[in-house]
Amino acid sequence: MVKQALQGMAKVSAINQDRAQRVLELQQAGKKIFGYLCIYPILEMLTAFDIVPFRLFGDINEPVTKANNFLPTVVCPFLRSYLDLGLKGRYSFLDGLITSHICDVGAGVPAIWNYAIKTPYTYHIDTPHTMRESAQAYHRKLMDSLQASLEEYTGRKLEPAKLVDAIKKHNQQRSLVRALYDLKKPDPPLISGAETILMIKAVQSLPVDEGNNLLCEVIAEVKARKNGPVKKAGRLMIWGSILDNSALVEMIESLDANVVMDDTCVGSRPYFDDVKITKNPLDGLAGHYLNHIKCPRTFISDYFAQQKDHITDLKRRYGYLGDYARDWHVNGVVMEALKYCDTHGYEVPSVKDYFTEIGLPSIYLEHDYTLGMMSPLKTRVQGFLEIIA
Amino acid sequence: MNGEVFTIYFAGVDLGSTMTKIVILDEGERAVAAVVKHTGAEHRRLAGQVMQEALKNAGLTSDDIQYIVATGYGRINVPFADRHFTELTCHARGVSKLFPNVRLAIDIGGQDSKVLQIRHGKLLDFVMNDKCAAGTGRFLEILAGMLGLKVEDLGPLSLTAKNKAVLASPCTVFIQQEVALHLSNGIAIEEIVAGLHDIIAGKVAKMAKRLKVEPDVVFTGGVARNIGVVKALEENLGCKILVPEEPLLSGASGAALIGKEIVLKAMASGEILPRIERRFEDAKFFT
Repeated sequence: MVKQALQGMAKVSAINQDRAQRVLELQQAGKKIFGYLCIYPILEMLTAFDIVPFRLFGDINEPVTKANNFLPTVVCPFLRSYLDLGLKGRYSFLDGLITSHICDVGAGVPAIWNYAIKTPYTYHIDTPHTMRESAQAYHRKLMDSLQASLEEYTGRKLEPAKLVDAIKKHNQQRSLVRALYDLKKPDPPLISGAETILMIKAVQSLPVDEGNNLLCEVIAEVKARKNGPVKKAGRLMIWGSILDNSALVEMIESLDANVVMDDTCVGSRPYFDDVKITKNPLDGLAGHYLNHIKCPRTFISDYFAQQKDHITDLKRRYGYLGDYARDWHVNGVVMEALKYCDTHGYEVPSVKDYFTEIGLPSIYLEHDYTLGMMSPLKTRVQGFLEIIA
Repeated sequence: MNGEVFTIYFAGVDLGSTMTKIVILDEGERAVAAVVKHTGAEHRRLAGQVMQEALKNAGLTSDDIQYIVATGYGRINVPFADRHFTELTCHARGVSKLFPNVRLAIDIGGQDSKVLQIRHGKLLDFVMNDKCAAGTGRFLEILAGMLGLKVEDLGPLSLTAKNKAVLASPCTVFIQQEVALHLSNGIAIEEIVAGLHDIIAGKVAKMAKRLKVEPDVVFTGGVARNIGVVKALEENLGCKILVPEEPLLSGASGAALIGKEIVLKAMASGEILPRIERRFEDAKFFT
């Protein structure tokens, strides 16, 4: 209840100390709490069924021990950590869990979860990895299946009006996050990159309405405060795999740089396009989650393009990154990927080629989801900043 | 005091993971002192003592030093430094002073290795090894210990080898099994050492090839004193490798040169640089 009295960034900080506190209160009041992994589960559908979505993360401060019985050490350290937390009971309060086919390991972990953890309700969305016509049709059918499963779980039929209402609330959240990111355009930015990650994590720990209220509070507070970030030489954008803790960004911002933009999933990635409200709202949801979230887990391509040279392809796939760089006055890019994250690792050469093509210096960091990695990475980032200074 | 000519001095402190190097340059960029000491836990705390030794060797006091730049992994543990820069930038500057045409610099230190792409004295791009000890001086230290050799003997010994032992793993732990196997099969120690040098050179050459390998290629760091690794690198990269007379000092020299550039730039613009009190006291450990 203490957090109810807090406002703005103080509330964000408190939520990040104990992310589950609010959903546990709601659960005691009779709400169902569903965890979700990655950004492809259809949150609007959960909200429409009056289920509170709660994003699941790993914990960089918790050594992986129990997950070693199920996953080898040569797979995504984030997913190993996430499973480890599940096995240790960190997410035992969940009424349900929604996952999606984010990558091969991410598709395998739910099966381990079902075997070893036994959350009362689980649903895995077999999200396709291409945007081909057949994939669109398949993904649309998955919306029907998810709806049917949730209807069976709740014993209620989904009212289209409630789904539209939920889409509007989540679109409002997207709009508010974009407004928050607008505060990073000035020099110095009004909110730091590390604060942004904590803000997004807080929003993803709350029901949509409460998240929206928190965003409004923080936007107002940040606009008015006098003790925001200071002007620095580097205005960096981060591109890459999940950063579910602020350690890497804090390290970067301890140097002569502000992180003013990102393309990561605990950042701008889930929020920079709205869901179109279509006659059948499931059509809009299916199209949004497959086509408009720009994560390398979905291969973006124009299958019917006449011109297929490398540079044209790069511009087609990553042109939005160039737009970000221009609009946020970025002068350098930190590309980061978790060790063994093939999804992002394979994308790195192409993304780097794109940044080279548009004349933006970049550095690639591979990290292993440990705090011990920060010191050697700091030398690399500082060296990069010395080059672009 | 009238008529007395004042010379200003610049110091570079390279607090590496294994060795601490300090160079003091005068305004003509001549080294008036150069000290190399083992870092260790105590020297990391006591960088000030090494600095005092360098001042004593040069016959200077702390007031004579106009600017101090710290570099290396322990750069933040030098409380008396005016600024700190990465070893990447400082090595590039130091190597460029010695070899103006350098385009690729390879530095293999105690616990890391790095390759720098340099143009006109400026760092353009770089590659560093990850946190694995393979391809570093520590790799050679451990293997020398296993073979009962001194590190400084490895280079000359390897040159006497007629063949190179084929070793597969660059891993410092697993390669010990391979070395033990070769020893039990009667392979000559010098051939094993030549094989070890080839492993290091191969790993670093792979890093170098991620950048553009073109002469002049300069090799610095403690491992550059090992003639066997120099030869192995030349074979792996297919070009001549230049090694400075004092390969450990390029980072500290570069740091001192950067300090001089900062002072000259400030003087030219009329900027008054803040003067910090030079107290050579212990740094708080790892703060």
